[in-house]
Amino acid sequence: MSEIKKIKNLKEFSTSADRFEGANLLCPGCAHSIIVREILNATNDDLVLSASTGCLEVCTAVYPYTSWDASWIHIGFENCSTAIAGAEAMYKSLKNKGRLKQPDRNPKFIAFGGDGASYDIGLQWISGCMERNHDMMYVVLDNEVYANTGGQRSSSTPIGSSATTSPAGSISYGEKMNKKDLMGIMGAHNIPYAAQVAPNKWKDLVKKVQRGFATEGAVFINAVSPCTTEWKFDPKDTMMLSDLSTDSLVFPLYEIIEGREINITYRPKNVVPVEEYLAAQGRFKHLFKDQYKHLIGEWQTRVDENWAYLNRREEARV
Amino acid sequence: MKYKGWDEFEIGAMLRSFDGAIDDIAGTAQIDRKYSENNSYRANVADWRILKPVFNKDYCIDCQFCWIYCPDVSIIARDKKMIGVDMDHCKGCGICVEVCPTNPKSLLMFVDYADEEAELAQWPAKDEEE
Amino acid sequence: MAFDKMELRDIEVWDGNHAAAQALRQCQVDVVSAYPITPSTPIVEGYAKFKSDNYVEGEFVMVESEHAAMSGCIGAAAAGGRVATATSSQGLALMVETLYQAAGMRLPIILNIVNRALAAPLNVNGDHSDMYLCRDSGWIQFDAFSPQEAYDLNMIAFKVSEDHDVRMPAIINQDGFLTSHTAQGVHTLTDDEAFNFVGTFKPMNDMLDFEHPVTHGVQTEEDWHFEHKARQHNDMMTIIPNKIDQAFADFETLSGRKYNKVECYDMEDADLAIVCMGTSVETVREVVSELREKGLKVGVIGLRVVRPFPFFEIAEALKNIKAVAALDRSAPGGAAGMLFNEIAGSLYNTDSKMLLSGYIYGLGGRDLTKTNIVDLYNELQANADAGKVLTKQQQFIGVRGPKLAYL
Repeated sequence: MSEIKKIKNLKEFSTSADRFEGANLLCPGCAHSIIVREILNATNDDLVLSASTGCLEVCTAVYPYTSWDASWIHIGFENCSTAIAGAEAMYKSLKNKGRLKQPDRNPKFIAFGGDGASYDIGLQWISGCMERNHDMMYVVLDNEVYANTGGQRSSSTPIGSSATTSPAGSISYGEKMNKKDLMGIMGAHNIPYAAQVAPNKWKDLVKKVQRGFATEGAVFINAVSPCTTEWKFDPKDTMMLSDLSTDSLVFPLYEIIEGREINITYRPKNVVPVEEYLAAQGRFKHLFKDQYKHLIGEWQTRVDENWAYLNRREEARV
Repeated sequence: MKYKGWDEFEIGAMLRSFDGAIDDIAGTAQIDRKYSENNSYRANVADWRILKPVFNKDYCIDCQFCWIYCPDVSIIARDKKMIGVDMDHCKGCGICVEVCPTNPKSLLMFVDYADEEAELAQWPAKDEEE
Repeated sequence: MAFDKMELRDIEVWDGNHAAAQALRQCQVDVVSAYPITPSTPIVEGYAKFKSDNYVEGEFVMVESEHAAMSGCIGAAAAGGRVATATSSQGLALMVETLYQAAGMRLPIILNIVNRALAAPLNVNGDHSDMYLCRDSGWIQFDAFSPQEAYDLNMIAFKVSEDHDVRMPAIINQDGFLTSHTAQGVHTLTDDEAFNFVGTFKPMNDMLDFEHPVTHGVQTEEDWHFEHKARQHNDMMTIIPNKIDQAFADFETLSGRKYNKVECYDMEDADLAIVCMGTSVETVREVVSELREKGLKVGVIGLRVVRPFPFFEIAEALKNIKAVAALDRSAPGGAAGMLFNEIAGSLYNTDSKMLLSGYIYGLGGRDLTKTNIVDLYNELQANADAGKVLTKQQQFIGVRGPKLAYL
């Protein structure tokens, strides 16, 4: 196994030579590329990458340009997990047969999918890859909406959010369903490692990703990706939104080891009220009308209950 | 890049990141890489910008928050030092300014046509209220 | 870990599925990513058993759907190695999205399709609906009429598909049950002969070459898409037909078995001909030899290569024919059959005065009987004698109820 890259602090991290390039077509202030950079820079090993159809894909491989300095493949919306699993299988096969061109490398196989590609259309493919325990990492860039196609709801879209297919209106507060617990589903696959991360907590993210790289077998990472366009906030505020998501515990940072052991990896010193998180985003603007205000309290209760549940699981080691 | 006819490119709409072989990509700084004409590193999105960040090295503490949180790989760091902004790739989102912890900030946003020397000359003073 | 070679008799009794599985074993596929479906399942099962008994050393990935099977094949092929899988019918239908992507990315992948009807109503037996479903997907398509051909064509397909001037995925069709589950004598190659014919895989634009990173599966819009699709078609029309001929010639040198894009039987002096695919070719050949004994100048053409369609070879084979029947084993869904259309296209604007009629037959595994075929030649004879097509241009044969005829 390869050595884990030493990243003590940001100064040291900043000596990394990026393998993801600018002049891609992602929106100004997009968190996707921040997350991708943090993940790719967490290792110096060779990379083999895939992406599902979605923002990341349509903005980084539009002919005649690629923004990737590592081999990369896109097939369709649902199958970036299996694409990288196929590449990983080929790597194992050629290694076994002694036919690798550079046999001394330790490539990392990473698939990137949005929440639409992961929570919805590609769930079966991911499940298959996790169950077969390919030596790969699946990363969800979770912006809780089909952002690439203009903001339709996905099963990751949280309740009360206004999406184009669940718009808020005079008699509707927007999305009616609770966000799917994909971490729970992945945990139930009993894979070696699953973790939830956020780009603002780069050290936590890098540590988890490095643990993932050091793990032999399937790794699942769910990354919150604040979307300036669909969450409706100023592009300069991406990191503020990322802070609010982790510090309000709307998006708690934790890991699940072998499906059995939960560790909460970040406990905010000052927990921010969920109301502040909601108020910072246009997609929840309608919740502050009298008619829908009760939902804010329900939001807080739900977040509190989920946090308590995670804490109970951590304590009970289940 | 110029448009090509159907017989002028490689099959499968495949793109190469670099010209020729590159042994250790992660160990090769961007300026030392032989990017292919198809690498977006060689493209330019400067015309996306309405506002641009101006960097004032006098106040910078090289914390590298701007480097880690820049979505566009546009903060140029060398040997743990922040040395400037890649204006070909910066889209002007302003995240670098928001995450800059110094007082006064070492990066501020100005309209894209602003004169950098002039803005540096009248950089705001320390905000005593902070 | 070294794998074991298998000693084969000169002639083995294999069904089409086992013949295909043996060919995959002998070609030493690097990754098989597959999902079982009747009637192609035994190919995958056979390969799994070879793996369990150490006759293959590649990776065998049993995925959770046919779509994932081809997705895995695409990832593996892009990584750079020999890749194959098998499917049928509904599985192929689920897979179709990725077929277009494999072809567009120019990735050599071998897909054995054991032909089966498409639901609804659900049916597990052989017709060519699935073959037709992916006919415009950009894949090379071979058609095997027997287990022997399923075996041989797999090796030929690898050789063509992986050629750096080709780099196009290839399908080998065989009829569900009639070929796939019918054991016949198959002349074998030794493991070494077979592997040496296809050779060690030569990677190209491979993702596992860490010194030359590549981006596969880009986005192209109106400014670039047309050129890429044009390139794909151009190579199918100009480069690949010659490569197929070359592979057929090389295979004949090795095995003594000669294949042609258009297989002609008793066609030299024929006045009447049937063009068909799959096991029907063998049935019609039998009828032809019986009718020949009675003095009828009849022949049969089996389409060996469905894509790229052998336009000129078909025109050449039919140029002196007076009346021809195109047999399509797929519900045409409100149009003429595919073979009817392609043959008409091949002969239009030529000097041929051939009378063409189309027949839809055998859906869902319905038998094509020798009586059906005799009747059909009689109709062709009547057309030839009259100098015009006396029936409707499209007729259904072998179906119960009032006669169906259109166009």
